Amino acid sequence: MKLENEDALDHYIICHQCFTLQKEIDIADGTKACCAECGGLLYRYDSKLIDHTLAWSMTGIIFFVLANAFPLIKIDLLGSEQFITLPKTIASLFENGFYVVGFFCIFLIFIFPLMIFLINILIFSLLKMGKGEKATKELLILLSHIKPWGMADIFFISILVALVKLIAFGQIHIGVSFWALMIFVMIDIYITKNIQLHEIWMLRKRIFLAQKCEEATA
Amino acid sequence: MIEVKEEDLIRCPVCDAVNINKGKENVCRRCGSAIYRHRKFNTEKSWAFLVTAIIAYIPANLYPMLITSAFGNREGSTILGGVVLLWELESYPVAIIIFIASILIPVMKFLILIYLLISVKYPLGKDKKINKHKLYYMTEVIGPWSMIDVFVVAILAALIHLSSVEILAGTAATAFAISVFFTLLAAHAFDETLIKDNR
Ligand SMILES: [Zn+2]
Ligand SMILES: [Zn+2]
Repeated sequence: MKLENEDALDHYIICHQCFTLQKEIDIADGTKACCAECGGLLYRYDSKLIDHTLAWSMTGIIFFVLANAFPLIKIDLLGSEQFITLPKTIASLFENGFYVVGFFCIFLIFIFPLMIFLINILIFSLLKMGKGEKATKELLILLSHIKPWGMADIFFISILVALVKLIAFGQIHIGVSFWALMIFVMIDIYITKNIQLHEIWMLRKRIFLAQKCEEATA
Repeated sequence: MIEVKEEDLIRCPVCDAVNINKGKENVCRRCGSAIYRHRKFNTEKSWAFLVTAIIAYIPANLYPMLITSAFGNREGSTILGGVVLLWELESYPVAIIIFIASILIPVMKFLILIYLLISVKYPLGKDKKINKHKLYYMTEVIGPWSMIDVFVVAILAALIHLSSVEILAGTAATAFAISVFFTLLAAHAFDETLIKDNR
C-alpha cells in the first residue's frame, strides 16, 4: 500500500479485538464505526464530544463524592446497627493488617476511578480552550495507562454478591451511597468503554492543526 | 510517497496510533512511547509475571479466604470451600459467580497466556485456525473480574465485626490479590505483534 507520508497512517486504525488494519471513514454525527472483520467498536463520531465528556465527568465526580460520603449498606446485627461507607471498607482492611489488599483496593476502587474522571476533565477543558498541546499529550498517555486499572464497576458487582451473602446474618438496608455508586459506575462505563482514546487523539490533532493553520495565515 | 507492507504496520499499545514497524528502535510517532523495543526479551517479562501469578495462586487456594467467628467458633473457608458451602446453602447464582471469578477466570487466563507465550515462539502445528488476537482480547476483558471475591471479602469483613459475630479476611485474600495483579501485568506485558510475526 502507498502512503503520502507517515502522517497519512492516521486515516487507518488497527482493531482492538482482531488486530486487522481498517481504513477510517467519515461517519454521521452520533454514530459509531465498527470493524469490518469482527464487528468490534473502532471509533465513534460525536461533534460535541468536548461538552458531552465534560458534562458527564463533572456529574460523575459529584456522584463519586456522594458515594463516599454516605453509608453503602446497613445491617441489623444482633440488635445493633452496623454500616459501611466506601472509605470505611478500605480503612478496615488496613486496621486489620491487610495492607496489600488495602493498598490494591485504595488504588483500584478509589484513586484510579477518580483520576480517570479528573484527567478527562483536564484534557477536555484544555482542548476546549485550545491550549496545552504538550500537556494534553502527557495526560492522554497517563489516561491510557490508568484506564485498565479502574475497577469501580467490578466493586459494584461485588457489593451485590456481598448483599446476597449477608442475608443470612440479618436485616439489610441499602444506603444512599449504593445508588450514588450505581450512577457513578454507569457514567464510568460510558466514559471508559464508549469514548475511545483514538477519538480524543484525533480531536486533539484537529484542534491544534487548525490553530497552526490560523497562525500561518495570520 | 512511501511504500509500506500491511504486515509491517503495528499498533501503539499506549495511544492506538498505527505505526510502521522499524524493528528495534520503534518509537510511536504520536505519543513517543517505546513499542516493544526489547525484541530479544520479547516474552521473558510476561513469563516472569505469569510465573509469579501462578505461584501466588497456590497459597490463595490453600489458606482460608474468609474466617467466620461466631460466639467463639472460628471457621475458615478456602475459595473452593466457600463455593461448595454456598452451593449447599442453595445460593446457586452467587456460588456460580464466585466459581467463575475466582477459579475459572484465573485458571483460564493462566492457560491462555501460557498457550500464547509458547505459540508465538514455537508454532504449534495446526493452531492457525485459532484466533489468538481474540483470545488475547478476551483475557484482557475478563481478567479484572477475578477481583470480585477479594472485594466481597473486604465488604463482609468491614461490615460484620462485633465481638460475638465477626468476619475476617484470610491470608488467601492477600495471595489472591497478588496473583490477580501479576496476571494483569503479564497480560499487559505480552507483545501482541508477536502473534502477527508468527502467522
Ligand atoms: Zn476487528
Ligand atoms: Zn503511541
